[in-house]
Amino acid sequence: MLFLVLIPYLAWLAWAALRHPVPLSYNWRSLWQRKVGTISTAAAIAVVVGIFVVVLSLSQGISRAFVSSGREDQAVLIRPNSRTELGSTVDRDQARIIRFHPLVAQDDQGPLASAECFIVNLLEQREGGGANVAFRGMEPAGIRMRPQAKLVAGRWFRSGLSELVVPQRMVARFAGVELGKTLVLGGKEWRIVGIFEAGGSAFDSEIWTDVEDLLQAKKRTVYSSMMVRLASPERVVGLAQALEDDKRLKLEVHTERDYFAQQTEAGKPIQVLGNLITVILTIGAIFAAMNTMYAAVAGRTAEIGTLRAIGFRRREILASFQWEALMLCAVGGVVGACLALSFNGIQTATTNFDTFSDISFAFTITPRLMLKGVAFSILMGMLGGFPPAWRASRLPVAEAMKG
Amino acid sequence: MIIRCRELSKSYFRGSLEIPVLQGLELEIPEGGYYALMGPSGSGKTTLLNLIAGIDRPTGGSLEVCGFALNDLDDDELAGWRASHVGFIFQNYNLVPVLNAFENVELPLLLTDLSRAQRRERVMEALDLVNLTDRLGNYPRQLSGGQEQRVAIARAIVGDPELLVADEPTGSLDARNAEEVLALMERLNRDLGKTILMVTHDPKAAQHARVQVHLEKGVLERTVEVRK
Repeated sequence: MLFLVLIPYLAWLAWAALRHPVPLSYNWRSLWQRKVGTISTAAAIAVVVGIFVVVLSLSQGISRAFVSSGREDQAVLIRPNSRTELGSTVDRDQARIIRFHPLVAQDDQGPLASAECFIVNLLEQREGGGANVAFRGMEPAGIRMRPQAKLVAGRWFRSGLSELVVPQRMVARFAGVELGKTLVLGGKEWRIVGIFEAGGSAFDSEIWTDVEDLLQAKKRTVYSSMMVRLASPERVVGLAQALEDDKRLKLEVHTERDYFAQQTEAGKPIQVLGNLITVILTIGAIFAAMNTMYAAVAGRTAEIGTLRAIGFRRREILASFQWEALMLCAVGGVVGACLALSFNGIQTATTNFDTFSDISFAFTITPRLMLKGVAFSILMGMLGGFPPAWRASRLPVAEAMKG
Repeated sequence: MIIRCRELSKSYFRGSLEIPVLQGLELEIPEGGYYALMGPSGSGKTTLLNLIAGIDRPTGGSLEVCGFALNDLDDDELAGWRASHVGFIFQNYNLVPVLNAFENVELPLLLTDLSRAQRRERVMEALDLVNLTDRLGNYPRQLSGGQEQRVAIARAIVGDPELLVADEPTGSLDARNAEEVLALMERLNRDLGKTILMVTHDPKAAQHARVQVHLEKGVLERTVEVRK
């Protein structure tokens, strides 16, 4: 809605800058005449834009972690209304029937179907304190179905040996998960035999093992979920229909991509907090820009009067001062977006409230986000610059000339 | 006549209190005239100048300048009219400090459809006329008071207006610079045929005009022809 007003206004400003303009160099140089005011306001805008971009990059990072985890031609099967694997159960009969379902794709080693067990367990962080970490037990097909996961050290786990493979990102954050170390889980010792890397996906936040070993350790008899690959994404609907028609298989079918995408909600609390901080700071920055521009107008009353006397119209004065505010804020915006860039790639983590487990992700600052930050600064310039620009354009000429 | 004032009056209001500044003023100035408006402080000289220059509006009477009835023009039309017909010379020069001499003189031309090359040519002509072509890159702070006023005069004439209005143009200058500026204005009137209306306290400056108009308490007291 705001953009419906702002876009025609920006178009008008552009037109005003081309037709009978007060030279933009006048505004640019005037800004640098008042160095202290300009720099402090631009710095305030830079901080706000920096925070804005970093907050956006948090959700971008979380979203990228989850969305890049899923494929369209793979489906996650869970108990109806359980929302995630953590609260879901799939019994062994169901798993057996699904594994050999005609719609399930096969490779040279057999059906691409993996019955899985998903649990969370507390691990100690290097910086102190514990955090819940997701453990995923899977069948050998589970590894083949997640080609984004690549071993960087050691080997994959073997069945019956209580072995774990740990994502590389976790090695940096948690104590005692290096290659060759052992972990205690379900009263048993587990040896870490491999380190993998999953391309920034949600699997970079999971420790993997054999599903049967994990079920035994946790004294469980049922799986949490079933992951299957289909010949094509279109067949997911067919599988859902087939499962609905079969009374033994009361399971919900989600494409893997949708399943993970819905978990991007995990970033919501941070996002809400970040947005709240951004809104408060934005209001402050708009007032800072407004104050600076009011001071500019007050200090240049005689100049404004002279320009009006020469023949510049009210709208040209309005456009001129509005441009000055936009320049001021855009400088801050560009600086803020560049400062935010220094966060790019930094690893952090939050709690996935769907699974109550730790999800690690990287701040992801893209050119698009940086542009959004600059656009945001321009928006601040428009809002903060308009009232002073309006005042400048309405000054009575004869009085203004006196200064 | 380039300027016709009929029953011209102007009042300011302080709350409900009306303060008359000009009352029923009748004045006609022919094209090519050089008039000095004189009178004590508060006599209404600057107010009359502002009304004639179209930067203030009368509260009564009619005012025709350069063939336009100014009462009938709205704010935008009046601004356009000023751009085409009036050049301003101020006591404190009113140059834009962040623009150099060339850019200050070019300002009025930005309101025209002239190309950049045409603008440049006109600016150079105007600066040549005031003998400042060697200072075109200088900022106001790098110029003397006399030079600043000459840049302001170049700005006033660059758009080739029929009417020049000057409010105490020598008020901030020393005697030598004041004389230079007055000589320049006289040349503009004599050689280029510009009509000049100048507000001044200074009898010496007023001697350069052809006609002196004396105001007293908002009323035209007398008109004195100084020279033909």
